[in-house]
Amino acid sequence: MRAAMGAGEIPGEYAGAQAGTSAGMRAARVVLLVVGVLTLAWGGYVLLDTQRPDQVVGVLVWIVAAIVVHDGILAPLVLAASVVLRRSGRRLPGVVLAILQGAVVVGVIFTLVVVPEIYAKTLGPANPTVLPGDYAFRLGMLWLVLALLTALLIGLYYLVGRNSLVERNSAARRD
Amino acid sequence: MATVLGRLLGLAFVVCFLTGLFSHFLQQPESWMRFPTSPAGLYAVTQGIHITAGIACFPLLLGKLWTVFPNLFQTPPVRSFLHLLERASIALFVGASLLEITIGLLNTYQWVPFPFFFKQTHFALAFVVIGSLVIHIAVQLPVIAEHWRKRGPDGKPLYGELEAYRATDGKDGDAVDTDVLPGGVTGRLMAYIDSAPRPEPSVSRRGFLATIAASTVALVVLTAGQSFALLDPFNLFGPRKRGVGPQGLPVNRTAEDAGVLSSAVAEDWVLTVRNGDTVREFSRADLAALPQVDVELPIACVEGWSQLARWRGVRMRDLADAVNAPAGSAFLLRSLEERGSFRINRMGPEYVRDERTVVALELNGETLHLEHGYPARMIAPARPGVTQTKWLSSLEVTV
Repeated sequence: MRAAMGAGEIPGEYAGAQAGTSAGMRAARVVLLVVGVLTLAWGGYVLLDTQRPDQVVGVLVWIVAAIVVHDGILAPLVLAASVVLRRSGRRLPGVVLAILQGAVVVGVIFTLVVVPEIYAKTLGPANPTVLPGDYAFRLGMLWLVLALLTALLIGLYYLVGRNSLVERNSAARRD
Repeated sequence: MATVLGRLLGLAFVVCFLTGLFSHFLQQPESWMRFPTSPAGLYAVTQGIHITAGIACFPLLLGKLWTVFPNLFQTPPVRSFLHLLERASIALFVGASLLEITIGLLNTYQWVPFPFFFKQTHFALAFVVIGSLVIHIAVQLPVIAEHWRKRGPDGKPLYGELEAYRATDGKDGDAVDTDVLPGGVTGRLMAYIDSAPRPEPSVSRRGFLATIAASTVALVVLTAGQSFALLDPFNLFGPRKRGVGPQGLPVNRTAEDAGVLSSAVAEDWVLTVRNGDTVREFSRADLAALPQVDVELPIACVEGWSQLARWRGVRMRDLADAVNAPAGSAFLLRSLEERGSFRINRMGPEYVRDERTVVALELNGETLHLEHGYPARMIAPARPGVTQTKWLSSLEVTV
């Protein structure tokens, strides 16, 4: 699975452990760990101190929900899209695939941020100066601009820069 | 790659944390605290940065999580009790970070669909996130140190951690390690995923970073106009727009919400200024008869939007002098509002004595609009919007 991901896997967290045996390193880690745990504990205390128990449960439920939505839905969808795109586009050059993927990711990130805004606007904002724009239309325009930019970039790659790009890539690999 | 994003994200988190703390203490100061009143746009800038950096965290955090997503499926899932603790802290780090930036974003347009208080939770989770970040750095310190150490003669890193990993273990990306894959449906799924062709690592790495960079820059450019005048023409997705609102200024709390529709326009309205037994009452006509000053000060809201405006009214320190308030006194500002946590707000002496702090009667050349605090409102330099008390009812010397 790791081989399939554009990113690959980070080395096991103990890969550098040999380098971390010096006393200074150990001291730094202990200090950081203590500071981190105390800061975290303070946050937990503030949470318990300022909210009712049912609200604290609400926070925990939303934290778990955030993890589930990201790790269980969002990331697998991105992985699936990436695999499908790469399989169906095996004849396409890597650069073209990268441009396509990039455009989709930019569009999806904007959509994630803007859709709650569109929905909140349908609920009726607190006053007319909150959310004054037509965000759905603007999001549509953004996708359109993205599509045009993508076509332009890919066209540019095929028409003009293919050779020079390939050269630059192989030059970059020799660096 | 995870390191580049990690550094940027860590920086964004720290910036959000510090600007957030500044904003917190401006709104809920300890009585001994004093704050700078110059430059007058200080809070507009720090809170603009807070909100903008928070928005930039969306692509940065999603990108960072994508680079470490495979770690979720590491085998065996748990190696030891310590490893379990580490994974649990990562889960908390990820969940709290996602929740923190999400509720922050929703709050910028005053949408609170969650079953807990925004302000208190956002404040508490900030410590959870920063604490988890520090723990994460402690755990990863050897890897981070190793990464910094691997530098060429020109000072540039020789390897990113991924490249270092690929050089030793990644081998040919297109090869499928069938011997380590489980069988059955999972195995076939893994094989299917792994057999998908991979673009060259250099293309895929640069493409990925370019994508995250483009998303971050585009999001910032298309939203930050609500906080920074320079980007106003590109403000397509910010929840506030400069110039939109009565007298060309956005509104946070309306007169109707505040319950002041009748009290604010009452004929017998007076502003009471009190220092112990010394009490003066000023009608709006009385205030207008006092020496007037013009100031140009921003309204800068905790939700990140800000806008410069021209205000005209009576200097706060003239009113303080009218009741012989000592030079170091703080004031309680009271609003006509019937409810709300900022109905009564304490103004420290540094603002009381600043010559730009004004009880405003006019805004942008017109009589102050009811939505902006008619009959009179406070406007002080470098203070959060929520403390710029609208619909003033009294000013009282306090300790």
